[in-house]
Amino acid sequence: MRGLPTASIVRAGLVGGVSALFVSLVGLYTRFADLELVGEQITLGRVLIPAPALVAAYVVTRPRFVGGERRPIVLGGGLAVGTFTGAVTGAVFALAVWFADWFGVDRIRQVFVQVTEPLIDFLTFDKGVPAGLAILVVLCLAGGAIGGFERTAPASIRTPAAVGVLTVLALGLLQRIVPIILIQLGIEADWLYTPSTRGLTWLGAAGIFVVAAAANVLWTRGGARAGQRVRTTIQEAPAAKLGLLVVTLSLLSVLPLLLGTVISEVLGQVMVFVLLGIGLNIVVGYAGLLDLGYVAFFAFGAYTTGLLTGALLNTTTGAAEPVLSADLNFYVAVWIVALMAAGLGLLIGAPILRLRGDYLAIVTLGLGEIVSIITASRWAQPLIGGPQGMRGVTNAEILGLNFQKDPQAFYYLALAFVLLALFVSWRLAASRVGRAWTAMREDEQVADAMGISTIKYKLLAFAMGGAIGALGGSLFAVNIGSLSPSSFGILISITALAVVVLGGLGSLPGVVVGALVLIGLPGLLREFEEYRLLIYGGALVAIMVLRPQGLIPNVRRSRELLEEEVEQDAWAKGVTGQAEAVVGVVPGGRLAGESENLE
Amino acid sequence: MGTATEERQERGAQLGRLERLPWRKIILIVLSILIVSIVAIGAFRTLTLPPDQRYAPAAWRDFIVLGVAQGAIYALVALGYTLVYGILRMINFAHGEVFMFGAFAAFFFSDAYERSGFLDANPWASIAIMLVVAMLTSMGVAVLLERVAYRPLRNAPRLVPLITAIGASLFLQNSARGFFGAQTRGFGVPTILDGTWTVLGLTVDRIQAVVLLTVVVAVILLSTFISKTTTGKSMRAVAADSEIASLMGIRVDRVIVTTFAIGGLLAGIAAVLFSMTFQAVDYTMGFRIGIAAFTAAVLGGIGSIWGAALGGISLGLLQSLGPALILTGYAIPSPFQLKDAFTFLVLVLVLIFRPGGLLGSGEAEKV
Amino acid sequence: MKNRKYFAMWALLGALMLVAAACGDDDGGETGGGGGTSATGGVVDCAADEFGCVEVQAGEPILLGGILTISADTAYLGTDAQHGVELAIDYLDGTFDATPGQLLGHDVEFQVEDETGTGGVCSTDGGQAAATAISAAPDVVAVIGTSCSSAALGVADQIMSDKGILLVSPSNTNPGLTSEEAHEPFYARTAHNDKIQGAIVAEFVFNELGLTTAATINDESPYADGLAAAFRDNFEALGGTITGIEAVNSADTQLEPVLTSLAQGEPEAVYGPNFPPVCGLTLLQGADIFPAGTVFLGSDGCLETSFVGQVGDPPADYYASSPDTTAFQGGDFYSNEYSPAFKEQYGTQTSVFNAHAFDAANVIFDAIEAVAADDGSGNLTISRTALKDAFFATSGYEGMTGIITCTPLGDCATDVTIGIFKYPHWDVEGGVEPIKPVYSDTKSLDEVI
Repeated sequence: MRGLPTASIVRAGLVGGVSALFVSLVGLYTRFADLELVGEQITLGRVLIPAPALVAAYVVTRPRFVGGERRPIVLGGGLAVGTFTGAVTGAVFALAVWFADWFGVDRIRQVFVQVTEPLIDFLTFDKGVPAGLAILVVLCLAGGAIGGFERTAPASIRTPAAVGVLTVLALGLLQRIVPIILIQLGIEADWLYTPSTRGLTWLGAAGIFVVAAAANVLWTRGGARAGQRVRTTIQEAPAAKLGLLVVTLSLLSVLPLLLGTVISEVLGQVMVFVLLGIGLNIVVGYAGLLDLGYVAFFAFGAYTTGLLTGALLNTTTGAAEPVLSADLNFYVAVWIVALMAAGLGLLIGAPILRLRGDYLAIVTLGLGEIVSIITASRWAQPLIGGPQGMRGVTNAEILGLNFQKDPQAFYYLALAFVLLALFVSWRLAASRVGRAWTAMREDEQVADAMGISTIKYKLLAFAMGGAIGALGGSLFAVNIGSLSPSSFGILISITALAVVVLGGLGSLPGVVVGALVLIGLPGLLREFEEYRLLIYGGALVAIMVLRPQGLIPNVRRSRELLEEEVEQDAWAKGVTGQAEAVVGVVPGGRLAGESENLE
Repeated sequence: MGTATEERQERGAQLGRLERLPWRKIILIVLSILIVSIVAIGAFRTLTLPPDQRYAPAAWRDFIVLGVAQGAIYALVALGYTLVYGILRMINFAHGEVFMFGAFAAFFFSDAYERSGFLDANPWASIAIMLVVAMLTSMGVAVLLERVAYRPLRNAPRLVPLITAIGASLFLQNSARGFFGAQTRGFGVPTILDGTWTVLGLTVDRIQAVVLLTVVVAVILLSTFISKTTTGKSMRAVAADSEIASLMGIRVDRVIVTTFAIGGLLAGIAAVLFSMTFQAVDYTMGFRIGIAAFTAAVLGGIGSIWGAALGGISLGLLQSLGPALILTGYAIPSPFQLKDAFTFLVLVLVLIFRPGGLLGSGEAEKV
Repeated sequence: MKNRKYFAMWALLGALMLVAAACGDDDGGETGGGGGTSATGGVVDCAADEFGCVEVQAGEPILLGGILTISADTAYLGTDAQHGVELAIDYLDGTFDATPGQLLGHDVEFQVEDETGTGGVCSTDGGQAAATAISAAPDVVAVIGTSCSSAALGVADQIMSDKGILLVSPSNTNPGLTSEEAHEPFYARTAHNDKIQGAIVAEFVFNELGLTTAATINDESPYADGLAAAFRDNFEALGGTITGIEAVNSADTQLEPVLTSLAQGEPEAVYGPNFPPVCGLTLLQGADIFPAGTVFLGSDGCLETSFVGQVGDPPADYYASSPDTTAFQGGDFYSNEYSPAFKEQYGTQTSVFNAHAFDAANVIFDAIEAVAADDGSGNLTISRTALKDAFFATSGYEGMTGIITCTPLGDCATDVTIGIFKYPHWDVEGGVEPIKPVYSDTKSLDEVI
């Protein structure tokens, strides 16, 4: 009945235990031990304690494929397996904590700096080693049980429960943002968020749980069918897809008025990265050119905008004029910048676009580094200010709207450019150029043989991508007003790539979602800044291994990315979600399982 | 009647001739002339600066020796990249982090030994222990990386493992920061390796000499291993065609793990040597040296062991001679700040003329 | 055909919404200029104050904001300053007892926003995000920040000045921030202006050591760049010669070629105001390249434990400049009360700027006390402009780090004492006694270039 070998359960438990150790050693418990989510007892740190066991149990109880058949596990078995997994995880965890206590925290701290007395106290709930460890193990057992429950319980119970809990968690984490919104809408927030701890009140948490769970139940009952119909309509009419996008963005456009300056500021940053994502999407997603140096165009756009609109160099004595500058209106300068960037893209692209994928990646990485180095160099200091940077970029004032001082106004400016870029990108993808790109991507030699001038289309992609990237840089410069080389490092290239990849290569809605997740969330949850890059790295690996087509896949691209698996049993077996998609491949049409993937 | 058609035919013929011109060759020729002249003029101007601004001959000798010494370290790390690329056709961006963890492991031992005095009392023993620890740690990280991040993607299109590698690199770097803290740590050198030796009239730092020696030995050993031993031959077979290799009875998974392990081993050795040369470790060191090392590997011709060695040494020389010889001639302020930029530029140019790198085939991708 | 029509429709809708939104009004957020509610003494005129007043009801805390870099690589700077402010709040009750005191009968709440940007280090966009977040909180009385100069210059200082919120930095040292052209009215700092540090080092080298030729080597940070420039200006003004100017990247490990190039000019001193590991490498690699007797100097960025671990026995003379904590005005207070309290509550100090944060907080508290109007039942009204004026009027205040007298351009650490410490007699773990500066001088801003 269970069909799960003990070895597999033990292995899952061990992985869970090691993950728990990782979480401790990297400092997540210490950092978030005091972040109250609900009341005074439920802190994020405490929630993270049973989390590894929960996830391990959830993974190990997934339906197996025996002889091509999908065999889910029943509830009783799931609970048992989950608890067992939790036990193993708890054992490993407790053993490690005990060891740390016995061996001497100070000695371990010579190597692992996060292992401190407060950490041990936290993990033993201030009750000392034997008693505290028992609680730890029990919590892990509970976590495992919940994980097993979540996987195997009937859908009518587990989905609303999960939705409810996750919503409470989310609103607890957003404790700095939601109260501001509520206050601005004129709603008193005391019943929801406790002023002293900033976390949710018990009443509030319970209320949110009930509301969220109920909403989910209603959705599954009635909404899902309607949603399905809407989805099929969208998939069949590309214009409706774009229309949906425009409507979504227009809705987003009303948000700043509701959400105030802080969130508008974050959304403004998101919009800049959406622009970067759209540009990089053309290069990587459409034309299949791996560009790891996209920051070059971003920096070029920002600095050139500064130079063309009369920005000054920062010096130790105050300010100085750059050797070359102009004082144009932003709305004139921005098009010049875009054109110059396109030209730069052509110039750079011409020699390097013949190179094979990996080589191209390294060369573009190098070019990005070259630009980063030059922005901070003494050589270029008379032009762009060196390490001190520039300030005084125009605020692009129009109709009395100051886009530098007013985050909400800036959001709209950025949105306008994003809509323009989306339109251009969409039209390109649907045109002959887009089809040429697709052909090149799938098999370059064949495309060449068919008469498509690969070099011409690659150059076009590079130039367009460069122009849009420069637009992003331009907006960035207007938003902040000051430019410093520390904003233009390789991390920007990697972040832009992550945005495109996470959202889905070749998918425009994906870029928006990717930017919202990778820039918007960290912007709102500033407490996690310390771990942002760790999470980025983990997310990239996870997405590539589990769902390489991204969150909102482009149908065509996912076929390419998943194509190999149709023959590979191994991959299909390894990941449940994929199996559905693979099984449903319909020749000549979209993947039958696509609609599920789009959830 | 005749003239219009004739004109059109003529124009057509002219355009045809225009199209048939070997544009690529022309651009390449023009580019090469440009490069040669820029380099020559720069070098000439540097060498003919007034005597008080000129570099002394001793300085040039130093630049060359330093370049080779630094290049040797790049070469050691580049070997790891080139091995993995040969087998999997992917650039393991996270190899730098494999290196970095090895360095930290060695550091903790070195720190403890230094404080207890063991380091100076038994220098060879401590060095040996540090090497073993570093090698084991790096091997462990490399094998773990392969198992978790790369094995599931064995058959995925090339873009996917590349992005995974970048993600893994970020993840490992920041894990190290979480574990060990963000501060730089000072790495002590045992006194026997402190100081210089005079070889053939050249004074080299002892540690530099050790590094050079290690690289030479490593390259020779590795080449012999690849060409003579069974495992090495299996590695070559898998590199050539993994499907056929598995049909021939070679356990492909095993071979790949072995490759990563060897790469990790080399990285561990490089980590100890690097830390002793520059006497500092921090969590970003892997990233920086990673970029340099795979630039070196690509420069020399990735997939080739001798290419990695050549690329490493060339890179080191470029970084030290380039700004000195060429940029100084153009009176660029603080030319050494641009050394990385200069190096990447050279990489781009090399790849334009020889897409496979210096020791590569010289042709663009074969089918 | 149909597609185009749909698209046009949606686009039009979108555009209309855009226009509508643009015509909408801004959010509130700011506390209105309520009015000088029955102040005892009645000198608070909120209506006349263009930035209005902050009202703190009885029982509510006084909100102090912070824009500091508390994550990623530069965390050592920001968290350090954060602790300094927290100690100041602790000391409101007169003792360091880990329990916060009260100001005018109100608790003080310190809310810090992170100025780390998308690039992973403190930068302009991080400063903007943090400043926007802080300025949106309606009742922020004053802000302590920023950590990095790039987050302040043209960014946070502007945002705060536009809202009339006092911004005091404990660690910005970039001279541009308090220059004629760039200074924003509500910005001030208790950290020293790097021109002073550069000048004192130059004098040490020229006068004390008697060396007349020097070279500088700095990394790509604005801190190093500014400090090196200040040194050069003052050194040449004294009559010295700068034989070479070089720059490296903070991640570089092979400095020998650069140093060889610098050695061509035969400088007697090499000034490298950088961070580890570059400072250590400059010494280690430079000692072999430069002739014996060449002196190497660094700045407070180099004063770290890792330098000791990296260098060990010094192959050549190395000096580092830093604010002279032994000469702190409140010398006894600093060593007998403040430092032990810091160590007990937070561990070792990771930068020298936490003391400046302590002073900044205290001066702000004094200014609040001076201008806050209590209506008798514990409700405070604080006029923003009056607060700023009171702060800028601070003169002769005996802070822990020195005499604090604010200039109209915002430099409050007007008399700065910089000490030159010879390695290994540094005040870090692994440093060797006696930990005293070999040279120490106090200068004010008008004495330097």
